Amino acid sequence: MIVSCLCTAVTAAGSPAWWHRRALLVLLLALGLAGSPRALAQPAIATLDWTLAETLVALGVTPVGVAQVEAYHAWVGAPHLPEASVDLGLRSQPNLELLANLAPDHILISPMFANLAPRLSHIAPVATVPLYTPGRETWPQLHELTHQVGRLAEREAAAERLIAETEARLAALRQRLPERVPPLLVVQFMDERHVRVFGEGGLYQAVMARLGLENAWHGETNAWGFSLVGLEQLAGLTARLVVVEPYPVGVETALAGSGLWQQQPSVRDDSLITLPPVWSFGALPSAIRFAEHLVAALEEASHDD
Amino acid sequence: MTTEASRRHAPALVCLLPGLALLALVLGSLAEQGLLDGLRALTTVTPANAESLVRHYSWWPRLAMALLAGGGLALAGVLMQQVLRNPLAAPTTLGVASGANLALMAATLLAPGLLLAGREWVALAGGAGAMALVFALTWRRALSPAVVVLAGLVVNLYAGALGMVLLLFHQETLKGLLIWGAGSLSQHGWHDAAFLAPRLLLGGLAAWLLLRPLAVLELDDASARSLGVSLKHLRLAGLGLAVFLTACVVSVVGVIGFIGLAAPNIVRLAGARRLGPRLLWSTLLGALLLATTDLLLQRFAGTLPTLIPTGAATAALGAPLLLWLIPRLRLEAGSPPGAATALAPRHPAPGRLAAGLGLGLMAAILLALLLGQAAGGWYTTVEEAVLAWRWPRLLAAAGSGVMLAIAGTLIQRLTANPMASPEVLGISGGSAIALMAAIFLLPAPGNLTLVAAGTLGALASLTVLVLINRRSGFVPERLLLSGVAITALFDAVRAIVLAGGDPRGQQVIAWLSGSTYYVDPVSATLVAGLAVALALAARPFARWLDILPLGATTAAALGVRVERARLALLLLVALLTACATMVVGPLSFVGLLAPHMARLAGFSRARAQLLGAALIGALLMVLADWLGRQLLFPAEIPAGLVASLLGGAYFMWGLGRR
Repeated sequence: MIVSCLCTAVTAAGSPAWWHRRALLVLLLALGLAGSPRALAQPAIATLDWTLAETLVALGVTPVGVAQVEAYHAWVGAPHLPEASVDLGLRSQPNLELLANLAPDHILISPMFANLAPRLSHIAPVATVPLYTPGRETWPQLHELTHQVGRLAEREAAAERLIAETEARLAALRQRLPERVPPLLVVQFMDERHVRVFGEGGLYQAVMARLGLENAWHGETNAWGFSLVGLEQLAGLTARLVVVEPYPVGVETALAGSGLWQQQPSVRDDSLITLPPVWSFGALPSAIRFAEHLVAALEEASHDD
Repeated sequence: MTTEASRRHAPALVCLLPGLALLALVLGSLAEQGLLDGLRALTTVTPANAESLVRHYSWWPRLAMALLAGGGLALAGVLMQQVLRNPLAAPTTLGVASGANLALMAATLLAPGLLLAGREWVALAGGAGAMALVFALTWRRALSPAVVVLAGLVVNLYAGALGMVLLLFHQETLKGLLIWGAGSLSQHGWHDAAFLAPRLLLGGLAAWLLLRPLAVLELDDASARSLGVSLKHLRLAGLGLAVFLTACVVSVVGVIGFIGLAAPNIVRLAGARRLGPRLLWSTLLGALLLATTDLLLQRFAGTLPTLIPTGAATAALGAPLLLWLIPRLRLEAGSPPGAATALAPRHPAPGRLAAGLGLGLMAAILLALLLGQAAGGWYTTVEEAVLAWRWPRLLAAAGSGVMLAIAGTLIQRLTANPMASPEVLGISGGSAIALMAAIFLLPAPGNLTLVAAGTLGALASLTVLVLINRRSGFVPERLLLSGVAITALFDAVRAIVLAGGDPRGQQVIAWLSGSTYYVDPVSATLVAGLAVALALAARPFARWLDILPLGATTAAALGVRVERARLALLLLVALLTACATMVVGPLSFVGLLAPHMARLAGFSRARAQLLGAALIGALLMVLADWLGRQLLFPAEIPAGLVASLLGGAYFMWGLGRR
């Protein structure tokens, strides 16, 4: 019930969030159009990584090939990949014959797929763009990633604009936050007994820090900024729960009958926040989507009080 | 007198140790918030107090669940080992866990509505389906143990390979199931324990009723039949009960390794001989072992950034224990097996059959070289730029198929055990563990680093195998047990890594599935060259291979220096497996299937079987590689998985036909 009413709140036309997202969309389109006269001179770029793909699209580039297009749309969602982007197959094993056939000028990969580089470099120069390096601050690294992708795609100006616009949006969102927000505990359900809880080193934490929000999870996290824990480890934390969708099938039913979950303070006093899915390992486009959803939900909740 | 008494008490002593440890852990944990409050939390809950909440809804149910699941699995393990007469049989031998896993995956992707009706029912249905398939395949052979074990292995493999394909394409959607697959005992209420307890009680009762008839199975078939027992129905009852128990446990807490294998073996080692005491003590020991491990894990792994699922942890901790135990095990002298060698009659002209297979291989190679798909659709080509992508993969696929097939033939004849395969020997597992470590610990590992890590891992596990088995003179049973232990360790590491949900898991899955994807012209040529060289090296061993399956005594009487022959063959197998693993990953199962397929086709003498298996291995891998690239174009299914599906299907057809 909480879920559905929050969702309607977020998607309702006329709410401030809706207009701001509209504005962002227009801006992205403008960036794309501004680049189009030069489109023929643009280098053709293929990428295996969704985070790089979303950055490319946000810069107005149509990647010639992206790995696992369908799954990208299911898990990253926005920005939508252009129709012209060809599906390259699995991220871990893209179809080499097909890729060679597309003849890209650059292939962008993340260090995760570094072992493919020797094979891929027979087709085109391979650029390895680091993201979520352990021990490095997430936010500056996202800037760097955007710059680097901008350089490779010959869209430096668009990259500058994307960064500036993101920072401006975050500053504006920060102004809209309610007076006092308790520490937040951002989780995503894996099954009815386990959640990923997001903390140090992840995208959500970086966005929350930019918004001046406190994260209630101070436990250890892995290189991607989350920790996999059983539900019992959330008990005893004084925090407002933020659940990032999707719920795996059947989990909501199971939670309704779960003693431990029903005793969570946020569940008991009905202050739980549910956010629509956002790619948790994304770059600036995902960051801004997360920020928009989160601030809208917090605003909505404070109006209810 | 004293020895008799000590034997009777030994199982109790074995249980006492984990029992005391468990008691200490329980008291230690309860004392943290006051013993009385901790005990009170069992029955009442104080909502304002977080500690009391966790105790009531999580800690106590978890303890109960660990005891129930451990007991249930151990009970199922005893039943399996009794009916199948194989100390390596485990509750999951008949494919229950992988069947349940596949059913859950398929339901998540295709019919999520079913999961709303209850996950445990979907899992139960999947487990029952796998079991029904095994029984259907072996019904006409009166559920004879050797054949049941083989069919179970293949069904396991088949469901596992299908599950792997789904996982490869839907890793994000299925990430929750990976935690289930690693066996987490985490609880948030009493409902799961309430589901399991009555079912296990029912199972225990049925086991008690079956006690006397099942004891008859310790006799050989003829004597059992002379007592007027229907072996088929007795086996059906025993296995069915074991599968029911396993499926109940698995459906609630996921796959928990090792307990069902280890507890019955430890109790037997401690001296419990008769079925009754073995059932009783094994159940108790299994419950205590799992609960103790789980409490230790909660105590020490709580601070790690990732969850260490209990099921995988028991396997990881149990593997070294098993390795330590192996030199101390008293195994009966290897009895020559009958059923597996008699799977199919000898072909009248193996030479003609081999020539036919050779022609088939040629045709497959031509097809795979010339026909393919592009963005526009199907096309044939002889263009050099395109062929340059194809021939290295073909060559590597064929080469590794040959190597694994020969390694499989060698190891199956060496150990006289139809379950043996290079993968089971643990060499692939060792190299896979090293590879996962490299992927996860190094920042951006290149292919050369990965190959180096894999080779090191293979060498390390070979060293362990040789060290542990040197003193016993490489007795096949011990060798296989060592391999099973290393493989269990590999499974555990894999399960922990994948359950953690790290995005790099995708890379691990892709590599483990056995793909020729990473091959370049140099490594392909190398693999093919090695395959030819090692295949020729295997030929002179043919006489040994004909004699060794007859048993050590017979072999020695015929003038074979058994120990030396075993070591030489083992080294050759290790070399073949390590080379092939570098190319196609550790889970291709060509090494298991090709020798059996060769035998089913009618290659029965050692030399003929080597040749037939090599040809079949190459054909299987070439076809699998090509099909894998075409079926879901542009996505590629790794050749190892397709080979498992093709080979498994043929194998099941062959089993069911007669």
